[in-house]
Amino acid sequence: MRNFSSHFRSLLKPLALAGIIAISAVNFSFGQEAAPADSSATASTAPSAGGGPAGDAAAGEALFKSNCGACHAIDKRVLGPALAGINQKQSNEWLHKWIKNSQGLIASGDKDAVAIFEEFNKMAMPAFPQLSDADIDNILAYVEEAGAKKPEAATAAGGATAAAEDTGVSSFMIIGLVAVVLIAFLVIVVLNRVIGTLERLLVTKEAEQNVYVEDEEAEAEEKDRFRVVKQLAKNKKFVFFVVLALLITLGSFGYMDMWNTGVQTGYQPVQPIKFSHQLHAGTNQIDCQYCHSGAWKSKNATIPSLNICMNCHKYVQATDKYNGEISPEIQKIYTALDYNPETQKYGNNTRPIEWVRIHNLPDLAYFNHSQHVSVAGIECQKCHGPIQEMEEVYQYSPLTMKWCINCHKETEVNSKGNAYYDKVIAAHDSIKKGEKVTAAVLGGLECGKCHY
Amino acid sequence: MESTKKYWKGLEEVNNTPEFAEHAKNEFAEPIPVDELLQGSGLNSVAPRRDFLKAMGFGLGAVSLAACNVAPVQKSIPYLVKPEEVTPGVPNYYASSYKGGAIIVKTREGRPIKIEGNPACPINRGGTDSQAQASVLDLYDNSKLKGPLKGGAEYSWDDVDTYVKRGLAKAQAAGKTIALVSSTINSPSTKAVIAEFSTQYPATKHVTYDAISYSGIIKANEQSFGKAVLPQYRFDKANVIVSFGADFLGSWISPTQFSTQYASNRNIASLNNKKMSRHIQFESGLSLTGSNADSRVAIKLSEEGPALLSLYAEVSGASVSGASLNNQPANAAIKLAAKELLAAKGAALVVSGSNSVAVQTTVNAINSLLGSYGNTIDLDNPSYQYAGKDEDFTLLLTDMNAGRVGAVMFLDANPAYSHPLAKEFTEALKKVDLSISFADRPDETASLCKVIAPNHHYLEAWGDENALEGYYTLVQPTINPIFNTRQAEVSLLTWANYPNQDYYAFVRSNWEKTVLAATGKKWDDVLQSGIISLPAKTGGAYAFTGSVDAGTVAKESAALAKDIELHIYQSVSIGSGAQANNPLLQEVPDPVSKVTWDNYAAINPKFAESLGLKQFDVVAIKTDKYSVELPVLHQPGQAQGTISVAVGYGRTKSGKVGDGVGKNVYPFITYTQGNAHFANTVTVSNTGGYEELAQTQTHHTIEGRNVIRETTFADYKKDPAHGSGNHGEKHPTYDLWNKYDQPGHNWVMAIDLNACTGCGACIVACNVENNVPVVGKDEVRRRREMHWLRIDRYYTFNEEGKAITEEHELEGTKGNMENVSVVHQPMLCQHCEHAPCETVCPVLATVHSTEGLNHMAYNRCVGTRYCANNCPYKVRRFNWFNYWNDSRFDNYLNNEFTQLVLNPDVTTRFRGVMEKCSMCIQRIQAGKLEAKMEKRALVDGDIKMACQQACASNAIIFGDANDPNSEVSKALKNERTYYVLEELNVQPGVGYMTKVTNTGSQEA
Repeated sequence: MRNFSSHFRSLLKPLALAGIIAISAVNFSFGQEAAPADSSATASTAPSAGGGPAGDAAAGEALFKSNCGACHAIDKRVLGPALAGINQKQSNEWLHKWIKNSQGLIASGDKDAVAIFEEFNKMAMPAFPQLSDADIDNILAYVEEAGAKKPEAATAAGGATAAAEDTGVSSFMIIGLVAVVLIAFLVIVVLNRVIGTLERLLVTKEAEQNVYVEDEEAEAEEKDRFRVVKQLAKNKKFVFFVVLALLITLGSFGYMDMWNTGVQTGYQPVQPIKFSHQLHAGTNQIDCQYCHSGAWKSKNATIPSLNICMNCHKYVQATDKYNGEISPEIQKIYTALDYNPETQKYGNNTRPIEWVRIHNLPDLAYFNHSQHVSVAGIECQKCHGPIQEMEEVYQYSPLTMKWCINCHKETEVNSKGNAYYDKVIAAHDSIKKGEKVTAAVLGGLECGKCHY
Repeated sequence: MESTKKYWKGLEEVNNTPEFAEHAKNEFAEPIPVDELLQGSGLNSVAPRRDFLKAMGFGLGAVSLAACNVAPVQKSIPYLVKPEEVTPGVPNYYASSYKGGAIIVKTREGRPIKIEGNPACPINRGGTDSQAQASVLDLYDNSKLKGPLKGGAEYSWDDVDTYVKRGLAKAQAAGKTIALVSSTINSPSTKAVIAEFSTQYPATKHVTYDAISYSGIIKANEQSFGKAVLPQYRFDKANVIVSFGADFLGSWISPTQFSTQYASNRNIASLNNKKMSRHIQFESGLSLTGSNADSRVAIKLSEEGPALLSLYAEVSGASVSGASLNNQPANAAIKLAAKELLAAKGAALVVSGSNSVAVQTTVNAINSLLGSYGNTIDLDNPSYQYAGKDEDFTLLLTDMNAGRVGAVMFLDANPAYSHPLAKEFTEALKKVDLSISFADRPDETASLCKVIAPNHHYLEAWGDENALEGYYTLVQPTINPIFNTRQAEVSLLTWANYPNQDYYAFVRSNWEKTVLAATGKKWDDVLQSGIISLPAKTGGAYAFTGSVDAGTVAKESAALAKDIELHIYQSVSIGSGAQANNPLLQEVPDPVSKVTWDNYAAINPKFAESLGLKQFDVVAIKTDKYSVELPVLHQPGQAQGTISVAVGYGRTKSGKVGDGVGKNVYPFITYTQGNAHFANTVTVSNTGGYEELAQTQTHHTIEGRNVIRETTFADYKKDPAHGSGNHGEKHPTYDLWNKYDQPGHNWVMAIDLNACTGCGACIVACNVENNVPVVGKDEVRRRREMHWLRIDRYYTFNEEGKAITEEHELEGTKGNMENVSVVHQPMLCQHCEHAPCETVCPVLATVHSTEGLNHMAYNRCVGTRYCANNCPYKVRRFNWFNYWNDSRFDNYLNNEFTQLVLNPDVTTRFRGVMEKCSMCIQRIQAGKLEAKMEKRALVDGDIKMACQQACASNAIIFGDANDPNSEVSKALKNERTYYVLEELNVQPGVGYMTKVTNTGSQEA
């Protein structure tokens, strides 16, 4: 014992030293980091000069977003070409003509116009006769300004993040090291104290042999303490009561647990794409059935095929969040389709996306989305929960038969304006007048309605 | 007077064998060995403590290990780019065509899963036969080739093409024939392809050869009327039909078409108009058609000729040599038939199943005298379903032997199996340098060929058909090719160096040039409907210019009358054997004998007794050239001195299912005057072997209960309710059960026993729709077939025009077991109001619905089988195995390919649960949902049962009884309606309509 403790103590000193050195190193590196961050901030504010077309860039921005943004970006080819530097490439007059009526310009045989038209697979740019010359100037001013700003900002920001990342990695490592050292230090301190206590106990034990009588009295006291328990244990009624209570408690817990066997509420598997319903259905307010288009006509709501994703993600690439790079999650769609966003061409090396199924209804139960969505008009959220708030989807409802049946018992049939139900409800009314017509009343609880 | 005829299901029942009496008591053939367990080594055996502990320990360990299993992760993989027309979960339907009849193919997520008849089809009118229904399974047959073969090794298509092209060029250069052997091709586009091929290779000779030949009829028509065609028979226009061995409802030429026509004169509508056709059948084996005949006379094959001649003599009034028939009952029947035929002049029809030119010429002469041409027989709009010429193939054989053939190709032809001269053919094939087969599997012929260029299944291919004059159907692919196959037409075009080998473009341009140009229709419209039907040509009456060669007819018949006469026929479901590898078809019971998975020697019980042959004795059937060994089946109704054996069995290279099922009897076919004759004279000897046939017929007994109700047409005309037991007011009934309300719908069914021919198409349709497993021969022997719908066949004796009414009369009048009447009765879950099965289920797995159905919740079932024991109709089937996941059933439906045919809307049932007809509840639910989504009331006819849809004779009507105007409500109000075992007051939901027999003017 003694040997060990002395060992620890001898180790303590150098370790403490190492800890101090490490902490100071971290401080030093943080200090270093501050400098480039500052320099980048100053750099980004510097260049914003340069004579563009005479127009109000701020007004142009609004116009650009409402009229051009769907097909054009400043620094990237989307549906149409990237616009940065357009003012240098073409004359102001030409641009005015093109924007007002591109087809007219092409028809007139303008060489540049035809070249652009050919390059983009004869995809016509809509004419904008509603834009005044001033409007166009404003837009071009905005393009000029943004075009000048973007590349420099990008490089500057890129440099900054690169630097931040460099130091970030090293500082993380150092912080981790320091934490390990600190914890080790604490452990050593605690262990040292334990050893001290144990040594002290050893010393007092030796002294105890002298006070043997006192001990016996203490034991007698302890016996008295258990007397009540022993008496109670002899009381058969009490024992029976306790056992029964225990049985009931355990039994009911067990019973509840059994009911939850196989219930996967909250099941939230990791999906191959970090698709956020919160963003799509919540923030962007995209209708559920835009993507899950089977829900109103099929038994399957269907996971959207990738061509539906591409309706938007052909140009929605979230580059602003990823420093000009295409979002890695959106890139997964492109990879699956073997789509090259540069050339906008599809290849043959396609790979389907293997989503993990969350709502696993057993094969023996037949469920039809269209019956519930189209006919009954039930909101998706009724079963799937606050899907518009889910970053990652989880199973909200238990999907048990009890859950189905409860809803069938409570939900009134949406029979208004549906001629199918006219006769059925009339016949039903003639038997049981006045009662609420739920799915259950119309036979919605019968085995064969879901199990066949 | 109500009929109290005694009905029986089989000879066991008539003779009341001890085995039958024992089985009659039990619902299940094999009792559970409880006694054995209790008395024998079961519970009395001492389990040592250590063993007990080991078992316990293992059990506990296993259970806890099993419990550790987390729920498996299921993947959900969407389309990359979804085809516009596909919505997962919603079926798509495509018009196509099978054997010339228009069909609709139901696909789910790109997989064809069901064949339905196209109601717009002018020949089959929405009906299908069992083969069409089962053909969807052939698509997923994993015995098919996965790619082209050369010399038995896998090759690429390019290599095959180079090799074949070189071979063809060599043959062409050497001045040798390039023969294309095919079964009848009525596809205009395929014919055009062959024409293209012939221009590239002028040495091409197209030989048409059908396993089942109708060349006798074609030749006879050429001789009689100068038109070498197969006429279109119109059974719907015939009031009196006399058939000599033609099984026109089962297998003759176009059975689905004929069933539709035949039933139209015997169904509810016709009877309501007090009109019914009369059908007299002369035949040796009891065929499906014979079982439906009003009067059936068993005659030997050798008597067919004389019988026909005497009919000719009777009809013409002239004396004909050889018209003497040494068979008194037949003689009388012929006289009667002649009288009735003459009375129905212009609406009479005589047909013969013979392939002899002389016989068919005689038939033509009779029909001509009866004024049938232009009425019941249409020569102007002939059938192109069969055009094979037997002589052509024999000629080819000589050419092959003489080394004059440089290359031979086989398209849908398998002469090494189905030609009587198969042996000679095999030898001759060796002398041909280049042999190519387009078969989809290495079958008997293909495996002898140097190259196999596997053809697409028709559901993967483009094509067209022209079954009748002026009637064209399109075939369109409903799935991408499953294996690396190539359409035979594309192969031919490739080898002919045709510039554009896209067969779709070829068919389309061919149609645009011909059919579409003639009708002015658009390709897309035709593709959607699948049909072009030109107005029927009308022609003049045809004068009979042939001559009745009584001498030849008599001689041909006399040649058969040597030993025992062998009658070779096609079974209803297996047919010529081309689809022998289809387990669904193998398991459909023969409509008459109820035998599955085998062919057999059908012998009259009396005749068998005289030969000393017992049921299931294996006999050797011999000619001097060929012999087979087959089990005996005692077949009532079989003519004395004859044996009937079906072709289509005994395949050796059809695949895992069809190989070794039954024996091949094609080699027994004889040739006279260049035409194949489906008869021979044989000797029969007992080999001492015993083989139990897998029959479904004796699996249940009705214990003499009155389940069949019959009347005669004469009685029916006097009182439509005759024989049905409907006497106006019903007895007061008292119920123990509460009444179920059916406020919404009340699904019921009506089955017209008079329209039902018993063909069994409904059984296959039900199997495919409801994922009913195939269990195999062994399991059928154990009475474990799973069919939800069966067709019960009941015999009655009919001695001297008198039905047997009393039990004790049975003994004395079994006679020669030739004169039996048959009634077919489809039997399925009756969806009783007071269902006995429901009251005995201890776990409420089978319960009643508010729509009049008896539901079965498989997952609730624990397999007590009480319900099956308590069901008076014996329609509940128990899953003895997990047929969908058990290696023992791999050959049938349990493999990765065949499982693609499963209907995704119906669960597959697990071992240990009961199942039964659900009244296609998935269709009811889908129909209701469609109405709800369209916000309209459900219309009668929206929902059709699978069996109803398949039925060519519309014997099954389904609908809502709460709708007074529905077809089914009207049918059930019919006077003929009765309910099977209605005395039990289980209140079935399925009503039957009495069978009406038109016994004719004389017999009535």
